[in-house]
Amino acid sequence: MKKIRIRVERVYEVPLWLRIVIPIIAILVALSIIAIIFLIQGINPIIAYAEIFHDAFLTTYGIKFNVVKLIPLLLCSLGLSVAFKANVWNIGAEGQLLMGAIAATWIALFKLKGYPSYIVIPAMYVLGFIFGALWALIPALLKAKFEVNEIITTLMMNYIAMKLVLFLIYGPWRGTTTWKYPITDEFPAEAQLPLIPGTLIHWPSLLIALILVPVIYLFLKRTKIGYEISVFGLNPNAARYAGINKTKVLVIVMLISGGLAGIAGVGEVAGIHHRLRYPSSISSGYGYTAIITTWLAKLNPLLLLPTTFFFGGLLVGGDVIKIDLRLPSSVVYLFNGLILTSLVSSDILLRYRIRLLVVGEEDDKCHS
Amino acid sequence: MSMTKNLIVVVVLAAICAIAGFAGGWFLAWSRAKSTIASLESRAASLELQLQQLQQQQQQPPPTQKPQKIKAAWIYIGPVEDYGWTYGHDRGRRIVAELFKDWLEVHAVPDVRDASKCAQVIDKLVAEGYQVIFTTSFEFMDVTYEAAKRYPDVIFFHCSGYKRYKNMGTYFADLYQIYYLNGLIAGALTKTNRVGYVAAHPIPEVIRHINAFAIGVKEVNPKAKVYVLWIHEWYAPDKARELAETLINKYNCDVLAFTEDSPAVVEVCQEYYEKGKPVYVFSHYSPMLNYGKDVCVSGQLVHWEVIYEDILLKIKQGIYNTTNLENVDYWWLLREGAVELGCDYGVPINPKFESILKSIRVNETVVLPNGTLVENPSVYDLVFIRLEQMKQDNPTFDPFTGPIYDQDGNLRVPPGERLGHDALWTMDWFVDNVVGEIPKGGG
Repeated sequence: MKKIRIRVERVYEVPLWLRIVIPIIAILVALSIIAIIFLIQGINPIIAYAEIFHDAFLTTYGIKFNVVKLIPLLLCSLGLSVAFKANVWNIGAEGQLLMGAIAATWIALFKLKGYPSYIVIPAMYVLGFIFGALWALIPALLKAKFEVNEIITTLMMNYIAMKLVLFLIYGPWRGTTTWKYPITDEFPAEAQLPLIPGTLIHWPSLLIALILVPVIYLFLKRTKIGYEISVFGLNPNAARYAGINKTKVLVIVMLISGGLAGIAGVGEVAGIHHRLRYPSSISSGYGYTAIITTWLAKLNPLLLLPTTFFFGGLLVGGDVIKIDLRLPSSVVYLFNGLILTSLVSSDILLRYRIRLLVVGEEDDKCHS
Repeated sequence: MSMTKNLIVVVVLAAICAIAGFAGGWFLAWSRAKSTIASLESRAASLELQLQQLQQQQQQPPPTQKPQKIKAAWIYIGPVEDYGWTYGHDRGRRIVAELFKDWLEVHAVPDVRDASKCAQVIDKLVAEGYQVIFTTSFEFMDVTYEAAKRYPDVIFFHCSGYKRYKNMGTYFADLYQIYYLNGLIAGALTKTNRVGYVAAHPIPEVIRHINAFAIGVKEVNPKAKVYVLWIHEWYAPDKARELAETLINKYNCDVLAFTEDSPAVVEVCQEYYEKGKPVYVFSHYSPMLNYGKDVCVSGQLVHWEVIYEDILLKIKQGIYNTTNLENVDYWWLLREGAVELGCDYGVPINPKFESILKSIRVNETVVLPNGTLVENPSVYDLVFIRLEQMKQDNPTFDPFTGPIYDQDGNLRVPPGERLGHDALWTMDWFVDNVVGEIPKGGG
């Protein structure tokens, strides 16, 4: 008598074609689930998809806004790829981004008001980096000295940053020319980032992000500290025996991670809003979406370009559904959520394989 | 492990960021300077051109364009189902769509949660040929203004802001007069002399509504106080419910009013009524009588369609075009019919409360619009007298007429004076019978 057994095995070597094919299949699975919803709503899913992807990736309108969303996503993701490499779960990019926005506002409206743009703009970026980095330093030190779980602390510090922004816009920084609305005054022209004409793309931030892609890649691959980060991420105990200083790794990855998110925050307020306003308006969850784009890129800074571009497109595409297909916005969240879920869960297929084993009674030899 | 080496790496990294930033700044300054010179040169040329154009224009005025068909779009911050702000705007949109169906094509984009998304939606709508775009959240003001500059051929109307442009007007329907009328009723109905207010965000609009409400309470019942608690959200049924219960149980309030985009507070009051502890309430923004048949006394209703009708008709007639909206600001009240007193359309006061309100007399003398004196009117009559007075072309009454004192006892409005638009729009103080404070630092 023969029995069939299902066995799940760990896979260590994944061929390249599989790494490409599985995410694509995952997206297709998600799309076919959503197709059912489209059909229920009386919309031909093929036409709907064609429209979404055409608008998000093939029209100038879509690409323009895609890039606007790519800038903060890429900056946050670059930082997160460093933190995640060290197996440090920084969930606080959102709050670090807001701290960068606060730093930019302080420079633009108070500290360096009236200075020319070649002083104000670099100062905003530098202080944005510092504020974001310092915000991330607190959980880093708590983790290093007292073993406090960084997932909790970074997440909670997002809320503190949000409340801090609210405190500032309702309180000391409330605008003097804004009819007492809870927003700050507008940044002077010297503190507004230049845009690519006809778009909302603040190119200095884009430039910084693009320069940082190879820089972070080389930092992780080629420097000693980058190597230490990888070792620490793979096995903290081994790292300790190898003499790698835990505190130092934690502090460095969090400073970089938080600082880059801070730069993203500078870009959002100085490039798009030109004032500090409700936190939900400054960042529509970029710090959280960046966690996903970073994972999708397998922590590889070079792969972040396609993943953030793809996600920027998804965010734009979601809005296309709303405007063109006149679907309720709940369908948009469903659309984004399903793609995410299936992408993240497809990861298991890369790490494990399922084998059907035909087991005989005489011997337990495996036939296939 | 040499700490210095690692330090160097960090320093180098920071330096790279700094250099990138500085390089960006330098390049920017350089390109600005270059473009300034270029623009100065081109300005001289264009000035001459403008002069010629002006001379031509004086000879023959441009014909006002009258669009045949109009495509108008609305951008909302929340879901249409919120039963508050967005629901009110969408109801207005549906009414004008029906009214002008021969020449008006409408479209609504709900749930545009933030400003940058709004910019994107505007671009998309313009590309699809929408000529009139209404943006209905204060959050959208800056992006609408930028879009108005970017698309000079499109007409924009922004609700609740203060920035205008030659092709961008502003509009708002304000409820403060209605809140005052609700306050008159609340002052009469409270037995504990404690009236509660569940408030959204501490901004001038909400503060002026609370003050108008408190002024009404004081007129009928000088002993009563208004207790204010803040939610710090526009839409948060759970928090509204929690604060309503706090006001009832901890502060012993027996009449509530609120600013929040759901019927949660009304539902709480109905529940208390059914438990044998009547707490009366005023519906907010949309008709909420159905949520509290036994407790909803009156309330505030909005008619955005009145404003939309006026704007769209004037665009159709060519009165409004893309060059003359710089000073078009609607601030419409009872007089224009943009707001209504009631817990349902056409129900200014729930009939259940008619007899009790008619039985309570107010110790004052009121002059009717036609000149006759009414001594000690009933609350019921007083409400309708004030309503008529505020509906007049030149309202003979306004709640914000002095003397009005703030919480610290300072005289804010001298006797006989009326607060104007600007003072109402920047209000950041409470009148003397309000208990509670305006948070200075958000929440």
